[in-house]
Amino acid sequence: MATAIQNAKCLLRSPMSYGFQNFCKRSYSSRKLTNAEVRRKRVELFDAEKERQLGLLTRVEKIEVRHKGVPEECTLIMNKDLSTPFNCAMHMHELLMTRSALALVNGEPWDMHRPLERDCDLQFLHFQDEDARVLNNVSLIYNDLKFPLPPSLKPRILTRIFINIFFFISFESVSSGSFVYDAALNLGDWKLSQTELNCLSRIGYRLSFADLRVQRLTIPVSVANQMFADNRFKAEQISAIAAKSRSGSEVTVYRAGDHIDLSSGPMIASTALIGRYSVCAVHDVESPTFGRLQRVQGLALPTQLTNKGPLPELRAPVSQKDVTTL
Amino acid sequence: MLRFRHRMHPRKIQTGLSEGPEGRLKRMRQIVSGLIRYERVEPTFAQADEARQYAERLLYLAIKNGDKHKETMDMADFWLLEKDLIHKLFKVLVPRYQSYTTCFTDLHKLAVEYPGQGFPRAVLELRGNPWPPIVPRQRDTRYLLSNILLAGARKDYHISKQKAREQHQQEQAQGGHDEVLSSGRGEMVESSQAYQSSASSSSVDTGLSEMEGDDARSARGSSVDASSFSASSTSSSHRDSER
Repeated sequence: MATAIQNAKCLLRSPMSYGFQNFCKRSYSSRKLTNAEVRRKRVELFDAEKERQLGLLTRVEKIEVRHKGVPEECTLIMNKDLSTPFNCAMHMHELLMTRSALALVNGEPWDMHRPLERDCDLQFLHFQDEDARVLNNVSLIYNDLKFPLPPSLKPRILTRIFINIFFFISFESVSSGSFVYDAALNLGDWKLSQTELNCLSRIGYRLSFADLRVQRLTIPVSVANQMFADNRFKAEQISAIAAKSRSGSEVTVYRAGDHIDLSSGPMIASTALIGRYSVCAVHDVESPTFGRLQRVQGLALPTQLTNKGPLPELRAPVSQKDVTTL
Repeated sequence: MLRFRHRMHPRKIQTGLSEGPEGRLKRMRQIVSGLIRYERVEPTFAQADEARQYAERLLYLAIKNGDKHKETMDMADFWLLEKDLIHKLFKVLVPRYQSYTTCFTDLHKLAVEYPGQGFPRAVLELRGNPWPPIVPRQRDTRYLLSNILLAGARKDYHISKQKAREQHQQEQAQGGHDEVLSSGRGEMVESSQAYQSSASSSSVDTGLSEMEGDDARSARGSSVDASSFSASSTSSSHRDSER
């Protein structure tokens, strides 16, 4: 009992006290949803949906994949709707498996772990390609490097407070040097110190050792609604995103480890490609539709381009006027 | 007319073969013929450097005059020891170099061999030859993500610096104006000294304060508000020294 009181006092003194007090107050009255539960639910839904889609494939058909580039130009006979560019790389060279960030299928950007659908020409892209513009211009990298931001926020910082993660916004160009992610963090007046930001960066950075494959899945709206029922921001957007899709009733989700998020993609093949990673700042922003949000700003560099020095300081602070783009 | 940078200085004729000027000329003809035949030769640097000019001149005349020109044909006959090379010169090389605006040959220095004779060696080659390139092609690293970010940062830095400079200028202009308004008109005695100090400081400073120097010069005639100029320009020199 005495230790429990001591712990409670420590909590009250800690910088998190505001959030924890809130949590403690609420937890007595009703049981709250935690992030861990939500993640587990989403992963289960993802797995079930994937299995269902695989079950629809009753007959394995063969397709011809013509590879261009190093180590040699060759033609591979692969399985339709099953084999991915990554599988093609497995037949050729380990280097292609480890360094390729993205594939070009008939000239179009294609995820490394997305099954091929028809006969095609295949090329592998990496960050030290001379023509890395293909990767940069579509601002893919920043989509990719943004991806680990939510997992780094989710599990540790607020262990038991449920947080809503908002949608990606890509109003900044690559050359602006930063990427942003909007989230409702329920932080109250708590300002994150530099040490706390560093801790967040470290969690994101650790993902590169985890080497999580980034999987892509197209799911029907019904499943998506179920998956993101706990996130009011995303739940509101699903129908709008689905309307823009090819069939009109599908959305694309990406999964790395147990983190699943809506994104149009394409994304890098694996979290091992994230070299330097840093969460630089958290700004308060006012959204006309969603009220007060936190805009998390970060910087990242791919493994291939990692320099030894510290990441440069954040250059352009997010201005309030950008919020109107929400 | 040579199309490459060439230092016009008297050179000591290298006989090398101890045959006198004839020996040297013979060696030059060998190198030019070899160059036309093989498109890449590797003599000593001094020989290659000298033979290059003759080869360039021969190609230039062949392009300019064509094969109907007697003097050019004589020239080709003199420089090309094997006569089948004359056909190559007019049938292969002239069409190749017709549209060139640069020179037709390349000269690369090679490392001095050790242990060896100690002569610096060189590679003389015709441009557009079929051999693998001597200088490896440099990778274009402009579009690497890190370089794009660095370029962005550099741009931001210059913009911020320019803004700071403009702000500084504005502040100075405002400050000077205020002082003009506030200062009295009775300081005629000090004005000449003030102008001298301002002129001396402006000669050291950069463009910003030079402009003030001009202002001060124009103010010399009136010499009424020169004291204000002295104040502003000295302050600017302080700030510049701080930078």
